[in-house]
Amino acid sequence: MANERISVIKVRETLMVTMPADPDDSTITALQEEVLQAMARYEASGLILDISAVETMDSFFARTVVETTRMVELMGGKTVIAGMRPSVAITATQLGFTFGNTKTALDVDYALDLLGDRHPRRPGHGR
Amino acid sequence: MVVESYGEVDILDESHIVTVRKTIREAASRIGFGVTDVTRIVTAGSELARNAFHYAGRGVMRWQEVENGQSIGIELVFEDHGPGIANLEQALEPGYSTSGGLGMGLPGTKRLMDEMDIRSRVGEGTTVTVRKWRRK
Repeated sequence: MANERISVIKVRETLMVTMPADPDDSTITALQEEVLQAMARYEASGLILDISAVETMDSFFARTVVETTRMVELMGGKTVIAGMRPSVAITATQLGFTFGNTKTALDVDYALDLLGDRHPRRPGHGR
Repeated sequence: MVVESYGEVDILDESHIVTVRKTIREAASRIGFGVTDVTRIVTAGSELARNAFHYAGRGVMRWQEVENGQSIGIELVFEDHGPGIANLEQALEPGYSTSGGLGMGLPGTKRLMDEMDIRSRVGEGTTVTVRKWRRK
């Protein structure tokens, strides 16, 4: 079975990670390490986890996402989970999953607002 | 064209959990469940497939379309020959886990489906049957 790739790009101060629709466990586990390393490499201050394509989020996937946000926090970064589908939100809640203090946004646009990553960015202008 | 109303997926390695999800998604959609119910059914199946794989090393998932009067539905059966569940009541309590997980697998799965039946014998294995119904 083809292992779906996670896309990681940096826009200004923020790292944007797009999750594939139906990743297997090893792809989900790889997400954690890849994201943490990218945070350090790109010196990003924020992380947006775009899960708008995700069709199924079981307890393993949800737990890994929340763990990742905690790890990013330990590194001094902020995370926003963006674009959770209504069906996924309903299912995750009924499954018993609480995302705790994790910040969420309707889409990537709102997520950028939450992270305070303003446009335009001027040289010497802080985050 | 013959439309299958039942099927089977072997769970022999981790990637087969994805195969189980895809199979259930196709089946539940074809039976006519809406997107939220399809997501519930697929998520429940994912939890049970992972349980079978992690506790027993391997297992099998069988699905079939079922009918009951005014209702049509899907039945999923997960069978493994693993260690079995010593205390079923405890396994159904939210927060209980022997695997270091969050212990939401079985109780959560039960909430997502309409019916759940677990048969388990220590040393012999576990069979979990779940069903979800919709009006015809």
